Amino acid sequence: MFKQFISDINGDQVYLIISLGVFMVFFIVVTFLLIRLKANYTSYMSDLPLADENYNPENKQL
Amino acid sequence: MQSEKFYYDNKIVRDFGIATVIWGIIGMTVGLLVAIQLYHPAANMGNQYTTYGRIRPLHTNAVIFAFVGNAIFMGVYYSLQRLLKARMFSDVLSKIHFWGWQLIIVSAVITLPLGLTTSHEYAELEWPIDIAITLIWVVFGINMFGTIIKRRERHLYVAIWFYIATFVTIAVLHIVNSFELPVSSFKSYYLYAGVQDALVQWWYGHNAVAFFLTTPYLGMMYYFLPKMANRPIYSYKLSILHFWALIFIYIWAGPHHLLYTTLPGWAQSLGVAFSIMLIAPSWGGMINGLLTLRGAWDKVRDDVVLKFMVVALTAYGMATFEGPLLSLKQVNAIGHFTDWIIAHVHVGALGWNGFLTFAVLYWLIPRIYKTELYSKKLASFHFWIGTLGILFYAVPLYWAGFTQGLMLKEFTAEGMLKYPSFLETTLRIIPMYVMRSIGGAMYLLGVIVMAYNLLRTMLQGKLVSNEAAEAMPLAPLQPEHQQEKWHRKLERRPIQLMILSLIVILIGSVIEIMPTLTISSNIPTIASVKPYTPLELQGRDIYIREGCVNCHSQTVRPFRSETERYGEYSKAGEFVYDHPFLWGSKRTGPDLAREGGKYGHSWQYNHLMDPRLMSPGSIMPAYDWLIDQKLDTTTTAAKINAMRSLGVPYAAGYDKIANHDLSKQANEIAEGLSKDKIKVASDKEIIAIIAYLQRLGTDIKASKTVNNN
Repeated sequence: MFKQFISDINGDQVYLIISLGVFMVFFIVVTFLLIRLKANYTSYMSDLPLADENYNPENKQL
Repeated sequence: MQSEKFYYDNKIVRDFGIATVIWGIIGMTVGLLVAIQLYHPAANMGNQYTTYGRIRPLHTNAVIFAFVGNAIFMGVYYSLQRLLKARMFSDVLSKIHFWGWQLIIVSAVITLPLGLTTSHEYAELEWPIDIAITLIWVVFGINMFGTIIKRRERHLYVAIWFYIATFVTIAVLHIVNSFELPVSSFKSYYLYAGVQDALVQWWYGHNAVAFFLTTPYLGMMYYFLPKMANRPIYSYKLSILHFWALIFIYIWAGPHHLLYTTLPGWAQSLGVAFSIMLIAPSWGGMINGLLTLRGAWDKVRDDVVLKFMVVALTAYGMATFEGPLLSLKQVNAIGHFTDWIIAHVHVGALGWNGFLTFAVLYWLIPRIYKTELYSKKLASFHFWIGTLGILFYAVPLYWAGFTQGLMLKEFTAEGMLKYPSFLETTLRIIPMYVMRSIGGAMYLLGVIVMAYNLLRTMLQGKLVSNEAAEAMPLAPLQPEHQQEKWHRKLERRPIQLMILSLIVILIGSVIEIMPTLTISSNIPTIASVKPYTPLELQGRDIYIREGCVNCHSQTVRPFRSETERYGEYSKAGEFVYDHPFLWGSKRTGPDLAREGGKYGHSWQYNHLMDPRLMSPGSIMPAYDWLIDQKLDTTTTAAKINAMRSLGVPYAAGYDKIANHDLSKQANEIAEGLSKDKIKVASDKEIIAIIAYLQRLGTDIKASKTVNNN
């Protein structure tokens, strides 16, 4: 009874394995990249939203 | 170097803010109306234009694209200017974007109640409006990238990455899910049929949640939460991981909407696997948000804006945990098609999108009006009534979902269905529907109070339409920057960032969709499955117009509880002529895939005229206008031709004689009805829809599957 809905293309396992492989490679690359980020860069970036109002002398902080 | 003076455009932010509140109230009011119709069908006011099937899509479109859509643009236009230290690229484009978007929403408000719909969920708008959406989206893109190009801050903060990913992915999703062949000025058929159409639709549907309800809101969270708490985001590195992992993984998860259907098993498995993986980036983002409040939790006690943010983030965490849970096949078997899904969606919509929007509105409106919020007490009232509203909404629906999902699967000791009548399970959950509408009403009341509070705030202040700012222009890059790591270089280059985001989202899309579209063995054909007759085709289009698909599925899953109840489970080959597919996503009423021949014509006639006549207690609305309205047969030839262009094997020249066949079949049905003492002219719409319902699932009976290979 289940034959119909799991009838698949040839080599479906290859599809799953390739997808998982792509995912793993992707995650490892992003993680590697994050580890190499410098602390002064991340602290500069994370301060960006807070910095904008400092540039405006006419605005009072509410 | 001299610093430059410029002005932020606050007027466009205010305009989008007002539109957010107005459309929010309208969209939620329509939501309340459809919720009431689920236990009091007469709340449709006896009118086809306000009946559930037609206005449920109006509710979803209004809250997603009007309420949330305007809120996104409000948040983007406010934060983008400040993060880039530049005014929006073009005031004219901002205005075209604003008014164009409102016009699109108004066109939805007009066309959906008229029954002009494609039937694809959250993509119901017909082809001329699809084109308008594309054009306005491009205007938004030009305005956003124009601002990025003329920026005075070299580095693009992570919020902007989320905005860029939103722009590019929604563009791809919208275009691919709008491949339609126009039949008339407001009617079209999708290029794909059946399984393929279903996969494209739920790839779109799931990622509309991801890239319309999630990524732009995460961008807003990463900008507004640090502002509100007055401290930087907990971990910038985590936000980068959150970004890349989220956009990469989300795009694969669509098939979890189609578990146990005729979608190939490998695609279902991919959908499940990537749904589970989604917990990691989603929770990473939630934790990043909540930990931003470290050392500021004392503020949460007093600051209503932060209270809204905490509930929003918690709701995000709950919904993104529950989503993967529901994508597990064992859980999905019970939860799918029930109110569990509606509860799940509303935890995200009311909690995450709604509360984050309210927090931004309460924070932003006083700032651009240079005043204090009119009443903190009213805002606090809004917070509590809104939170209770979410609970009163979600808890009864979870209960309803579990109850009905389990009842439908229950067997007696003798192996018979314990509740063979679907209606019996519906009647059991009516009290939950009543409680849900009370929860919704509480939530809506909170929004109305907020509208009043914000209006008074605006009246007591004065809008600073052009807010003065000053910043240094971008200096040429110093030589040491040439040595930077590639990611830092990339992050300064918006177009390259967009292209990389595009590649990342296309990987999952192509791997999942292409084989289903191109490899024919995925869709085994069935020799006995024939195209619809002209009358059935017209009936099918009335079925679409009335939004029957909102409450009735047309796909029998391979469970004994379903094959016992409905008949043989569905096969991929049955849907090859279904442009569009009509599998549905919710069973408020029973599945109709095997409806044909189950009852006589007169039963169908009486049931459509007054469902309670045939099924006492039924919550289905009466469709008495189908008896009065004459079937429009002038469209038959165009429909047959369109279907033939899409590959449906109607003989050449059949369009010229189709109406002859249509009349013949209609007369037979009318004669059949007259034998049961029902007098109805054969040219009425009800005849066509009876023809369609009687056809459903009949091809498969006594047929053999023929595999293409």
